[in-house]
Amino acid sequence: MDETSAPDLAKLRRILVGEERARLDQLEAKVEDNRLSAERLAARLPEAIVLRAAQDRQLARALAPTVEGAISESVRRKPGEFADAIFPVLGPAIRKAIAETMAELVGSINRAMQHSFSARGLSWRFESWRTGVPYAAVVIKHALVYRVEQVFLVHRETGLLLAQAHPPNLAVPDADLVSGMLTAIRDFVGDSFSAEKEVGGLRTFSVGELTVMVEQGPKALLAAVVRGQAPESYLRRLQETIEGVHGQFPSALAEFEGDTTPFEAAQPLLEDCLVTVLDTDQPVGAKVNWTPWVVGLGLVALVIAAWWTWSVLEFNRAVRALRATPGIVVVEASRGWRTHEVRGLSDPSGATPATVLRAAGVEPARVTQQWEPYVSLTPSLVVARAARVLGPTSVGKPALVLRGETLMVRGPADAPWLARVARRTGWPAGVAGVDLREATPVLPAALVRAGDSLVAGQVLFAPGSAALDDAAAAAVRTAARHARAIAAGLADDGVTVGLTLTGRTDATGTDSTNQSLSRERAERVRRALEGALRGGGAAPVLTTRGVGTREPLSESDSTARARINRSVSFGIRLSIDATPGARPR
Amino acid sequence: MIQKKVCMVGVFGTGKTSLVQQFVHTKFTDKYHSTVGVKIDRKVVNVAGTDVTLVLWDLAGRDSSEDIGASYLKGAHGIIYVGDGTRRDTVVQLDDLLRVATAAAGAVPSVTALNKIDLTDQWALSVEDYQALVKRGGLFRTSAKTGEGVEAMFLQLATWLVAPKAGA
Repeated sequence: MDETSAPDLAKLRRILVGEERARLDQLEAKVEDNRLSAERLAARLPEAIVLRAAQDRQLARALAPTVEGAISESVRRKPGEFADAIFPVLGPAIRKAIAETMAELVGSINRAMQHSFSARGLSWRFESWRTGVPYAAVVIKHALVYRVEQVFLVHRETGLLLAQAHPPNLAVPDADLVSGMLTAIRDFVGDSFSAEKEVGGLRTFSVGELTVMVEQGPKALLAAVVRGQAPESYLRRLQETIEGVHGQFPSALAEFEGDTTPFEAAQPLLEDCLVTVLDTDQPVGAKVNWTPWVVGLGLVALVIAAWWTWSVLEFNRAVRALRATPGIVVVEASRGWRTHEVRGLSDPSGATPATVLRAAGVEPARVTQQWEPYVSLTPSLVVARAARVLGPTSVGKPALVLRGETLMVRGPADAPWLARVARRTGWPAGVAGVDLREATPVLPAALVRAGDSLVAGQVLFAPGSAALDDAAAAAVRTAARHARAIAAGLADDGVTVGLTLTGRTDATGTDSTNQSLSRERAERVRRALEGALRGGGAAPVLTTRGVGTREPLSESDSTARARINRSVSFGIRLSIDATPGARPR
Repeated sequence: MIQKKVCMVGVFGTGKTSLVQQFVHTKFTDKYHSTVGVKIDRKVVNVAGTDVTLVLWDLAGRDSSEDIGASYLKGAHGIIYVGDGTRRDTVVQLDDLLRVATAAAGAVPSVTALNKIDLTDQWALSVEDYQALVKRGGLFRTSAKTGEGVEAMFLQLATWLVAPKAGA
């Protein structure tokens, strides 16, 4: 039964639970499959991490908290193991820091020893005693001295020297060789310790007191030879400079084929790196040089002061000129910064203040002026005022002179003008009256021709005779015409016209005969002239005189002289009609 | 100012240093050869009225071409190959040197000095060797001892450096 029943049982089981069995198998396969995929994942995980890390930082972000937690847990639980693990990194870093500090300290101590017994050392001791700061600190403060003696700009690939800077007295004659050798040594060091080449090669090396600091860019490097201990900040300056060089000369560096001419322009950049730090902590190169400022400001101040002084002197001179001018009284003169001010009195008869200022070299517009009119009794102004009141003469230019309060008129002046002066009653201030005694009345311009003709005309006689022939009668008529014109011309001006008839004889005959003959001739002409003038209005007053041969008329030829002296000639007398205070001659 | 970097290349004892010694301005002593492997010299030549400063990198001679300081050749504007006429191997190795130097510095103008021509009685070159050298171009027969051909060689190289020879 057992042999036959076993397959049947299986059949039966399949019939009863076949469906469940299949599902059970599926689940079993799935469980197996899951276990397998964890194994696969373990095999793929590193690769997956690498791939994902290359894509973005998501993985790092996701892992960061876990890693941080794991590290802190590890440090807390096993600090010794952790210290061992990071020692290779920590060691060199600490050593480097200590080495740098020591180098600095040694440099400072060297200097301290050097200066211990010098005058400088003693002054540092004094400073330490005075301030209470330990001596060592004072020394370190002062001893941090360095000087940059050379700066080379070197083409990195060829090692050729592009530019160089050094203090005036510290030239290196073989800088190009030094530059090449420096590059060679850097190459040598780079080749020998190839790892360091990646981080920029040889950066700093010391030779005795000198330190060579190298800062490199992609195409060129900057090497500074420093005596003493340069601070870390100096490396930053080199770095900025080499960056500056690359920024300024990108194409010249890229296409460099041995011609260093373009890099002459880099010289100032290199010179900026020449720093000397003396006993104070300030770089000398960065110190502001005040001297040009002081000199410049001094010059400006000097120019302003000179201008101010000049303007003051000029103004004072102008004020003095104003004071010296008749008719100007300066009451107040004040000097401002830009403008000046003058106040006072001014006589309109005199020079105007503006004219005086301009003559003294001061532009009147720059001076604020305030003038009150007044009347000055200065003689020149009194005379000027009088002259303006009297007006011009038609003939003659008489001199006006003030004597006390009397206005003296001197010299020839036309008779009507003199007559008006004589008659004048109102006088300007400073003049009380007028004195015409020294004035000579002459014919006004309109009558000058008539006067000249009258005086030139003579009535001629035959020898020994006083008879008027036809020619003489005609001459008398002509004289009468002129005399009447003159008398008429002056009739209304208060001028009295007089005619003097002078009789003469030639040199023959006795004096007494000639005297009476000359008087006879004058009388004859007077009677004829009176006849000619009668009934014709204004007539001159006639007077006669016989001079014989005493006042002969001159002529070179003796016959002509005798002829013109057998004559009667005419003279004109003008007199101003007498008025009180005016006494004509 | 025009400066050119020129490398002196040749195996040990070919007379590179002697070649330049009387004609250059030297600041560094020969001991740099054994320490750093290179010594820098300067030679100023006049090319058509222009002064050209040749900064000569005198590379230390080695026994083989394998380890001439390739990094020193970097950036060279011109190369002077030096062979010793009395030692055939120094001349034969010039081909290897040419290959190594060209790899480091590129195809720059060059001249070849066949040195020690004052010792013609000890001459060790075959006619074929010599003709191979002539084929390279820019060959100068020089004597560091008598000075023969040396100045002419520097001048020729400087001329090519200032106005590069076609196909050099």
